[in-house]
Amino acid sequence: ADGGGGLALAAAPGRAQVFTTVVDTFLEKLVAAGSYQRFVNCYRCFYKLQPQLTRSIYDQFISQLQASIKEEIQEVKNEGNLEGLFSSLDKIVEEAKDREEPAWRPSGIPEQDIRSTMVPYFLKHCSHLRRVLREKEEENRKVAESVLMGRDRIAELQQLIQARQQAWQ
Amino acid sequence: MSVDPMVYETQFFGFTPQTCMLRIYIAFQDYLFEMMLVVEGVMLKKLDGIPGCKVSPSQIRKCTEKFLVFMKEHFDKLFAKMEEVLLQLVLNIPKNVLLPEDRVQEQYPYSEEEFQALQDELQQLQQQCRAEAATEQALRAELEEQKVVKAELEKILQCFDGLESICREHGAGNFKESFALLTQNSKKLQDVLKDVEEKSKKMKQHDQLM
Repeated sequence: ADGGGGLALAAAPGRAQVFTTVVDTFLEKLVAAGSYQRFVNCYRCFYKLQPQLTRSIYDQFISQLQASIKEEIQEVKNEGNLEGLFSSLDKIVEEAKDREEPAWRPSGIPEQDIRSTMVPYFLKHCSHLRRVLREKEEENRKVAESVLMGRDRIAELQQLIQARQQAWQ
Repeated sequence: MSVDPMVYETQFFGFTPQTCMLRIYIAFQDYLFEMMLVVEGVMLKKLDGIPGCKVSPSQIRKCTEKFLVFMKEHFDKLFAKMEEVLLQLVLNIPKNVLLPEDRVQEQYPYSEEEFQALQDELQQLQQQCRAEAATEQALRAELEEQKVVKAELEKILQCFDGLESICREHGAGNFKESFALLTQNSKKLQDVLKDVEEKSKKMKQHDQLM
């Protein structure tokens, strides 16, 4: 659909973007839940003794947690080549956007599914053999002609020899 | 409630989406617990250094447990939401989408019968090719034989022609005719000889009788 007026429609975020956003949101909400207030509430006895240290411990806890979580996500992305896969999938989905019917899915029966993958090879093989057969038939036709001519020639020679023999009687 | 095995997604990503989420869940949870232990450890160490401290380690432990229970509850809720979104929007393949590697499935939807017919056609073509190859062999074999026979016959013809040219060279006239005449004459001679033999035999008999 075309964007009307002066408003430009932002492209739908790709999977990579959604992934990052969703993880960031998770972290945000987690940190919000584990607020400093909540932390102090739980560690009241310690807070009373060491208020400043409590703050510093909390800050470190939160920043370490965030760093570890982000690092883990990055590792998962790298290991699975997720960025690449996400952008490929986005492209594939975009190309199918006009299509409404459900697409083919593996039937779970390998013998059945493999049929279609083999058809193009068989078709190619058939057309190759048809070509080879045509060429061979044509070649053989020519050779057969030579054979017939050869037979005629031999008959001719035999007649000539017979004629000579008779002349010498 | 049945769990969607997400087979097609697994084919694309190389891993099961649910397994991926589980791995992330366990990792995140581990970090959370680890950090809490570190917090507890720092606090305990600090308290250790304070002489006459009124706060016991078990009190700190109780604090940690309280905080942990709270964090775990929120962590699980938030993670469940995140997982739902990821499985629905990111780690999924919409129903109308066909992966490029499966294009042949929609290009060549051959039924079992159609597939069998294709294989039969292939087999037939292979047989025909073999037959043509055999025909070629037979034809070429005859061609070779003909070559040999032709050579022999031509040699014989050459001999005859050679004889004629010799006769002509040596001016024996028509050698053929002379040869034929010779054959006839020798036959006549043989007849005359036989006649003479018989007559002389008769004469001897006659003499004996006289």
